[in-house]
Amino acid sequence: MDSARSQERATAFDRMLTPLHRWIWSDVGRRVQKLFRFGETETDGGRDILRAAELTTDPLLRRLYLEHAIDEFRHGVMFHRRAAALLNTVPSHSHLSFQGAWLAPGGHGLDDLQVDDESDETMLAFLHLSEKAAASRFTVYRDVMQHDPSTRAVFEEILHDETFHMNYTLTQLARVAPEDHRRHLWRARFSRLWKGYLRLATALAGVFGSVLLTIQYFILLPPFACLARRAERHEPSGWIRTSSERSGLLNRQY
Amino acid sequence: MNILGISAHYHDSAAALVIDGIPVCAVQEERLSRHKGDAAFPLLAIESCLEQAGIEPDVLDAIVFYERPMLKFDRILTCALRSFPRSWRAFPKAMKNSLGEKVWVRGIISSHLGVPASKILFTEHHQSHAAAAFLTAPTRRAAILTTDAVGEWATLSVGDGERMANGSTTIRSLREIRFPHSLGMLYSTFTAYLGFKVNEDEYKVMGLAGYGRPSLIEQVRKLIRRTQDGAFALDLNYFEFHTTAERSYSSRFIELFGPPRGPGEAIDLDTAEGQRFADCAASVQRVLEDTLVEIARSLHQETGLSDLCLGGGVALNGVANARLLAESGFERVFVPPAPGDAGCAVGAALYADRIWFKNPDRDVPDHPFWGPSLEQSELARLAHEDGHVVEEFDDGALIEHVAGDLAAGRIVGWMDGALEFGPRALGHRSILAAPHTVEMRDRLNREIKYREAFRPFAPVAPVESAARYFDLPPGGARLARFMSGVFPVRREWQPRLEAITHVDGTARLQALERPMAPRLYALLEAYGRRSGMPVLLNTSFNLAGEPIVNRAVEGYSTFLRCGIDVLVAGQARVTKRALPEARTPMEKARREVA
Repeated sequence: MDSARSQERATAFDRMLTPLHRWIWSDVGRRVQKLFRFGETETDGGRDILRAAELTTDPLLRRLYLEHAIDEFRHGVMFHRRAAALLNTVPSHSHLSFQGAWLAPGGHGLDDLQVDDESDETMLAFLHLSEKAAASRFTVYRDVMQHDPSTRAVFEEILHDETFHMNYTLTQLARVAPEDHRRHLWRARFSRLWKGYLRLATALAGVFGSVLLTIQYFILLPPFACLARRAERHEPSGWIRTSSERSGLLNRQY
Repeated sequence: MNILGISAHYHDSAAALVIDGIPVCAVQEERLSRHKGDAAFPLLAIESCLEQAGIEPDVLDAIVFYERPMLKFDRILTCALRSFPRSWRAFPKAMKNSLGEKVWVRGIISSHLGVPASKILFTEHHQSHAAAAFLTAPTRRAAILTTDAVGEWATLSVGDGERMANGSTTIRSLREIRFPHSLGMLYSTFTAYLGFKVNEDEYKVMGLAGYGRPSLIEQVRKLIRRTQDGAFALDLNYFEFHTTAERSYSSRFIELFGPPRGPGEAIDLDTAEGQRFADCAASVQRVLEDTLVEIARSLHQETGLSDLCLGGGVALNGVANARLLAESGFERVFVPPAPGDAGCAVGAALYADRIWFKNPDRDVPDHPFWGPSLEQSELARLAHEDGHVVEEFDDGALIEHVAGDLAAGRIVGWMDGALEFGPRALGHRSILAAPHTVEMRDRLNREIKYREAFRPFAPVAPVESAARYFDLPPGGARLARFMSGVFPVRREWQPRLEAITHVDGTARLQALERPMAPRLYALLEAYGRRSGMPVLLNTSFNLAGEPIVNRAVEGYSTFLRCGIDVLVAGQARVTKRALPEARTPMEKARREVA
């Protein structure tokens, strides 16, 4: 039950990043974008928890998940409203190239959890850790928001709910898996770590792939681009007669 | 012969199963995965179709994918080459997207279903649209017009189809307009400019158009010129959708129409800015309609046929459809319940059955209810567990109770039989309410749909009495069968139909025939006996951003999260009267753990 007592306390890692978060949240334009994105993340998370409510066979869990999902949807609306209110104060030409999205992530979302395939135990363990992580981050965000009392109040209210979510998930995990709830928590920790690694690896592979494709684009494509442009000039505009010979064959992909 | 049709990888994936020439199941992936507009390979939908028919993949004779992946890749690559070097940012993304999954469809299907690659066939995207429109319509011979954003290369095609007396079928494509010249892309560009989601919120542009004047029509006509042969071409200087993935419109577009609306900004129609956005919507809507009407009129003159089948996402534009019926010269216009890409799953399977395998023609049942059926006992069990009041009635008593609820101003979640295929709730997964007052419309927007106030609600009425309340032209009832047309509400009834009358005095009517949804029809009759008017407000059973509910448990969780007063599924009726008691265990649990 240690986790339940750690409510509204940021982890050492999140505390260490406080100066960075202070910088990220200092700009109004960036704050607007982040709040909009947080709103979407909370809403998406709410939908996944709603799905869990629809799938569980445990009536008490169904009611708690439902309550939880409603909270997440409400958080989504709160973030969205605050972002919309701040938007009016941002000059329309303001454009930020750096959002710092991966440096200051939002609420838990449900990462890559396939809600339909998970048991109640796995779901509760995962939710507990997600809520705990979100509460830790939101504590830091609230603390660096002294210059914006309205946004701070939003984080404050959401933190209150996160504490409930963190606690009920742990209590219910102990109820549905009294013997091995700690094992489930550890498995969920490793699973989050593994998924984090996969996300990072995929992102790196994506960057690597993009670089290679961009190099190919500039080295290999120019002659073909010339040919394509020349062909385009000869293309008639308007209607084009269709070929029954081509469209009649269903066993070809081209 | 068992043929599975699949549409996937763009938006709104779906699967459909045709057995011996008749569809037995068709369902969108989003209804099962619960992710709106789910574009993933539709494994859940395929499983659902096979389960419903009680067959295994190995007895499938063919699996038909709704477009040709390599032809589509050809278009993506060619467009990247043509816009070199401006496409340098979009190129890696497009290649990863295509080469990562989309061009390997044959292998994906083969590995997922364990069927040999030789059983996998491909129709062209617009062939699938054409087949979905023509082969499901109750007509023997018709002109066919399909139009959407883009398939492989085609964005609009015209042709004709015939179901002959000897059982053979022909579907002929005469000509097409190719990417990047696209009515769908023109409309989607304005959808993005107005701050809505492309491929999802186009209907919001149509709703917003009702509040505007087409005062920017000349500006819109600068974007699209008519060619000498009667087709059209976009002026690509105003667009960027063909060169980048980031933005659909160019800086010149913004110079012409002003700054775009940001996604988070509210549309206040009382301000000049809000009115400008409404005028933009009205103007592009008018140009879309005019262009479609002219193309259809010319097709009518060319073919001399009296029936027109419409397919493709643009066929969801009910205002344009009504103008096509009124002005193109065609006497009847048929739009299937799922004219968009999801419907291509049905179209691809039927095309393969009738044209490729040359199987004899069969009449396809004329209804939209091809999805999974409702499990009757599920709602009662859930509601009992949570302490809600559950009553179970026979059909007659249930209908009378629900009619009483509606007459008392209660909002009813209505679930009945098999799930609709397509984006419209047509009486099996609907939220129903009395259609008489603005207060009801506002309450639905505020407490249930949580959506923009400018969006209208649709009515449902028995086909026999629809013309009394709505100004239906000849052929209008057919177009209204699947809510595919927007028609004027008769002036004398508008004060009593405020909740469903749009600002321009129109409504997107569903004209219901008894055999299609007998229980809803009986409910309309019972409500008519109480209110003097057998018309109900019928909106889809979902909340903003969620797909339409499928199972009773999804209806139940929606019911608990919003202002719906009564939930009906099968024979069970649940009310929220006992809400304080029902919440007690939850509150108790919350207090315990807090």
